[in-house]
Amino acid sequence: MLAAERLVGGYGGADILKGVSVRLDPGEIVVIVGPNGAGKSTVMKAVFGLVSLREGRVTLSGEEISGLPTEQRVRLGLAYVPQERNVFVSLSVQENLEMGGFVRSTVPRAAYDRVYALFPPLAEKRRQAAGELSGGQRQMLAVGRALMVEPKILLLDEPTCGLAPRAMDEIFACIRAINREGVGILMVEQNAKQALGLAHRGYVLATGENRYTDTGAALLANREVAESFLGGGVP
Amino acid sequence: MIEFINNYVIPGLVLGSIYALGAIGVSMIFSILRFAHFAHGDLMTFGAYVAFAVVVAFGWPPVAAMPFAILGASGAALVIDRFAYRPFRRSRPIVVVIASFGVALMLRAAIMLIWGVQPEPYVEGIQTPLESLGPFRVLEKHIVIIGTAIVLVTALHLLLTRTKMGKAMRAMSDDADLARITGIGTERVIAWTWIVGAVLAAAAGVLTGIDTLLKPYMGWDLLLPLFAAAILGGLGRTYGAILGGLVIGMVEELSTYPLFSDQPLVSPGYKTGIAFAIMVIMLIWRPQGLLRGRVF
Repeated sequence: MLAAERLVGGYGGADILKGVSVRLDPGEIVVIVGPNGAGKSTVMKAVFGLVSLREGRVTLSGEEISGLPTEQRVRLGLAYVPQERNVFVSLSVQENLEMGGFVRSTVPRAAYDRVYALFPPLAEKRRQAAGELSGGQRQMLAVGRALMVEPKILLLDEPTCGLAPRAMDEIFACIRAINREGVGILMVEQNAKQALGLAHRGYVLATGENRYTDTGAALLANREVAESFLGGGVP
Repeated sequence: MIEFINNYVIPGLVLGSIYALGAIGVSMIFSILRFAHFAHGDLMTFGAYVAFAVVVAFGWPPVAAMPFAILGASGAALVIDRFAYRPFRRSRPIVVVIASFGVALMLRAAIMLIWGVQPEPYVEGIQTPLESLGPFRVLEKHIVIIGTAIVLVTALHLLLTRTKMGKAMRAMSDDADLARITGIGTERVIAWTWIVGAVLAAAAGVLTGIDTLLKPYMGWDLLLPLFAAAILGGLGRTYGAILGGLVIGMVEELSTYPLFSDQPLVSPGYKTGIAFAIMVIMLIWRPQGLLRGRVF
């Protein structure tokens, strides 16, 4: 239902994306992996309209959204969680969630309850400033903030970056839980093996182009992918 | 002691209240729009003169004319933003700073054209101290100034903590990119920032006129202490700007206290230099300000 076709573009200088295509079908978890500089994060930003595209188009349920402003994309059911600086540090946890639902005229109680049910540590700290949260909790809040618009598709840029292994497992478990509620997830992840383990499909990018596309399990089993991109042989 | 309160503390609080109202706008505009708004002082002047027009036309007391000053300044701020600042949203901050400098000159020139260059009082005559306060020399205008400041600051606090738009303003001041990604309508937040900044500026302008006289340069002359107050409190920190305004106002008044001899500590002619000195010291020693504001 979300498709990015042959994207070419970057941040105004040299092209970072050189014809990348990515697709997300309803209810899928799709993971994008690849070495540094492959353009993984840039693909996400392009889907969300934060990159100037010279060629290619992005469609949501068949409708082209390439030219729409960010606010409009949020209304259409896309939510994006950047890798860094993804919470409002001086706002409380509750206020962060409220801002997440800004485009909705009224945010039902149930939307807050859903996030607090998914991330119990946030419920205890709802009055605390987001800047005081631990790394894992911050990441939970960033995802929770994005869920407040009840998106159809969640774009996650390295949600486990810089987290301790236990916090990482927690985040992956939450991502699976969110997906089970029917939210499509497009995710860039450094932790390729673990991420491909829960992905329905995966893309391996290199130097701004598609290199391999397959199911998560098949990519994990692929010797070439493992050697060149996942840092080690097949287990 | 009573003399000390009468001569230094009360004037310090009065001046500090006015600085605080102006500094909040400077600080908010800096953190949300990312530029130093050099026309802020002249926006104050504009508000003060709009109220003057109402006072002259209807014979109302200046406080009653304040809502008109507020409406006029808010409208002016929105029009100015649309034509002088919005075209430069994606430009480097210095471009907008220069634009605001130009707006300051235009506003001041317009004020001089319309109302002339002579200092004018809102109301002729001298106020006598309130008798009910005994030995304390408090004038009615002092109560009006400090009271108005308290009411406005309380209203601002409620706006920022209880309303969706107020929270969005704080969010955008925290991180404008994240606000955009979240779907917050940033142009609407900017418009409200101008309205809030202009309301407080217009009030501060009217209060300055009540305290002293209306002069076309009254706001421009206040720009330095306003920036000093905003920096002292920490840019982007609303409560910091209030604190900074009160501190600068108080220190300016206290600087003339004859501490070591019967001569003032600092000659009154150098009062404004105090704000400048505080600003320089803060920028060197603690650029984030007292309440950990933004550093650029």
